[in-house]
Amino acid sequence: MIKAGTAHWLLHDVKNRGLTAWLLSVLLTAFYLVLYFTEWFTPPARAIGLDSKWTLYGLLYTLAVTAGGLWVIRKYRHNRYQIVRTSVVIFVQATFAFSIPHLLKFLHQPEYYFSYLWPLKMDYLTPSYIFSLPLPFILYSFLGSALMVPLFAAFFGKRWYCSWICGCGGLANTFGEPWRHLSDKSSTSWKIEKITIHTVLGTSLLLTALLFISWGAGKSHPELARFTTGFQSFYGLIVSSMLAGVVGVGLYPLGGTRLWCRFFCPMAALLGLVQKFGRYRITVKENMCISCGMCSKYCEMGIDVRSYAQAGKSFTRASCVGCGLCAEVCPRGVLRLENKSHRDPQESILIQIQPAPSARPLI
Amino acid sequence: MHYVIIGNGVSGITAALTLRQRDARARITVISGEGDYFISRTALMYAYMDRMNLRDLEPFERKTYDKQRIDRVRAWVRDLDASRHLLRLADGRELTYDKLLLATGSVPNRFDWPGLSDVKEGAVHFVSLQHLAECERLTPSTKQAVVVGGGLIGVELVECLVHHGVEVDFLVRESWYWPMALAREEGDIIAGHIRAHGVRLHLEHEVTAVTAAPSGRVAGVRTNHGLDLPCQMLGICIGVRPATDWLKEVATPPAIGRGIRVNPSFQTPLPDVYAAGDCAEFTRPDGSPQVEQIWYAAKRQGEQAARAMLGDAVEYRPPLFYNSAKFFEIEYTTVGDVTRLPDDARSFFHRLPGPHASIRLIERNGAVIGFNMLGSRWDHTFFERWIAERRSMADVVPQLHLAQFDVEFGRAHLESARVAFAEYQRRNGLQAA
Ligand SMILES: Cc1cc2nc3c(=O)[nH]c(=O)nc-3n(C[C@H](O)[C@H](O)[C@H](O)COP(=O)(O)OP(=O)(O)OC[C@H]3O[C@@H](n4cnc5c(N)ncnc54)[C@H](O)[C@@H]3O)c2cc1C
Ligand code: SF4
Ligand code: SF4
Repeated sequence: MIKAGTAHWLLHDVKNRGLTAWLLSVLLTAFYLVLYFTEWFTPPARAIGLDSKWTLYGLLYTLAVTAGGLWVIRKYRHNRYQIVRTSVVIFVQATFAFSIPHLLKFLHQPEYYFSYLWPLKMDYLTPSYIFSLPLPFILYSFLGSALMVPLFAAFFGKRWYCSWICGCGGLANTFGEPWRHLSDKSSTSWKIEKITIHTVLGTSLLLTALLFISWGAGKSHPELARFTTGFQSFYGLIVSSMLAGVVGVGLYPLGGTRLWCRFFCPMAALLGLVQKFGRYRITVKENMCISCGMCSKYCEMGIDVRSYAQAGKSFTRASCVGCGLCAEVCPRGVLRLENKSHRDPQESILIQIQPAPSARPLI
Repeated sequence: MHYVIIGNGVSGITAALTLRQRDARARITVISGEGDYFISRTALMYAYMDRMNLRDLEPFERKTYDKQRIDRVRAWVRDLDASRHLLRLADGRELTYDKLLLATGSVPNRFDWPGLSDVKEGAVHFVSLQHLAECERLTPSTKQAVVVGGGLIGVELVECLVHHGVEVDFLVRESWYWPMALAREEGDIIAGHIRAHGVRLHLEHEVTAVTAAPSGRVAGVRTNHGLDLPCQMLGICIGVRPATDWLKEVATPPAIGRGIRVNPSFQTPLPDVYAAGDCAEFTRPDGSPQVEQIWYAAKRQGEQAARAMLGDAVEYRPPLFYNSAKFFEIEYTTVGDVTRLPDDARSFFHRLPGPHASIRLIERNGAVIGFNMLGSRWDHTFFERWIAERRSMADVVPQLHLAQFDVEFGRAHLESARVAFAEYQRRNGLQAA
């Protein structure tokens, strides 16, 4: 039931696909279309002394993450995991994803974003681009994607990236907090997600392979080089601009905050595959779930957490970004994010509980 | 084989799913007067506070029932004729069964305070979807409310009303909050927390009279201390009892005590009629009646009753008691015996650093028998294990960290508990661990 008063009605409306949510979604989408496909933001950027519309965008993005993040920290101030995680998200956005690249540029170095890695940032394994950079950047790109990404994911799950470092996840978990519950929880959407996200992953792998082949053999096969360039701009338009930007953020108020992360992000797909075989899991306390459904409701990845919790099954889902909100909202403390390789030896011993002398009534 | 289940709560639905798992061919029908789909009663408060939609309260996707071929009938059952294996519904339909499970749950208690019979509107309960709808209908026209009864449903209703900006007077009969489950120290922590939310909590207060406005809407209550509390809603949360009233008027009533009497195989004396969940009454070895009115028990009983109906040899014995709850923001975990203790039981209570966190361990004859934990998260299965293994408190206290279940970076600090326990042992002339 909505609280009385216009302000509460509006808040409910914008958070629950009401008219205001549709309006906001149209605005956000229009913003991204203008940003990507026109130069309208260039003059205002110049007017405040910024070199390009992208710097203006970076500034707005950082402000959104910071303001949203501070509000999230306040909201979950009793939960240390949320405080630490959100602080890191704000810090990474303000430094690695904003000020450091511009500082590098100022120092006549490449504008390099250490918080983005292939395959989220395709450029960083695009040979014609990456090999034009100084050696440390080349090493970071290759080792980052080949070693750091899978290794950290094996130990900590994909959360180390998706909900601690990544800017897309960062925006979702700060500015996007009011819409996290809109993710679709149906088993049908889970089926669709598995198809779409792995399609994008496959496409990105194919594109990277083609980029390397045409980099090596493009001179002697001009038609291959042409095809690859076409493919690359197609991928850039559809995946990086339309899906990550326009759909990913534009539809926050209608489809929830992690549409991009859940259905399309190739990085999330890759991390998810590693996560499935790694240490990370959500441990479910046996027989303590009251099936209230708060966990499912507030899972931004549309995971029906309750279905595992009420069955008493600890679980690792490839899509889980480890935001920890299911554990936060659970009124019975049933869930815990863990990355232990195995449970304490104590925990694995099954025990037979003796019947108790008494049972107290609940109410 | 046609299995019919009356009640689509957690016990009824768990039974239906268990039956289907084991018997692919049987016909299974679930009847409920409350709603079309199984909902989580425990989450009614979140719907009331707009943290969830009604649809979110359904623990299973709707297509599950079709997939599992569980027929749903929306109706109140009025008559049961066990000699003809026949049910009659309120809308006149008749239904035959081969085996019947009564899983009718609980209904709220009501006390006939003077004046209550004049109240036509505004005296509410908080147990069913219909109650929720009534509360939601009345809330916008309510400035002040009185909630009677200091149990878990009472505090949930209070939280909802506070959320909606209603001024609440909360009447609790006992001298501290919820002595049924909490000792005085914990009761004081919770009472302080409830008051910090702006609720006027009145301990040792009972309703003596209720007044109604000419419109029939509740207007106020008077307490045993002469307090006159104006209100437009009166929340009556003085416990629940098994939903058996309708069974007293049927053609073949089952044996009814506090609940529907069953043997350890969930059988009523009527042929092919079983009962499980909140409505079922078992008999303890000492002959006293036992009704378990909590979610976990209802789920467990539903599963085992289904097995009994399938012909398994089932000997149900309620396991060690455990429960959890949340009082506004304070989480609570309990296992075993913690109140109404024998004289030779010892109790170690300690307040952990932090606003509301505390631990309590109970020991008797050198073995822990109970845990009561507030304000931080614990894995109750460890407590169950330690109790089953008859470990001593001195053995358990240094290992408590194993049972902690707080979020990462957020573990409650237990060092002070170890220090306090050493002091407790010295005071009691016990050897330090
Ligand atoms: C607000 C609230 C909060 C709670 N919180 C907790 C908690 O945190 N932890 C906990 O352990 N327990 C909690 N409980 C208790 C818990 O919900 C119950 O123990 C549990 O729901 C019992 O399940 P059941 O299947 O036996 O019955 P119910 O869930 O009560 O289901 C019985 C169903 O049968 C229907 N029915 C009854 N008679 C008939 C008839 N003649 N014809 C047709 N249909 C009929 C009823 O309408 C109802 O839908 C809470 C209860 C309430 C009300
Ligand atoms: S399952 Fe929990 S931790 Fe994982 S994404 Fe969903 S809410 Fe976050
Ligand atoms: S929030 Fe907790 S109690 Fe509620 S369904 Fe999820 S795990 Fe179960």
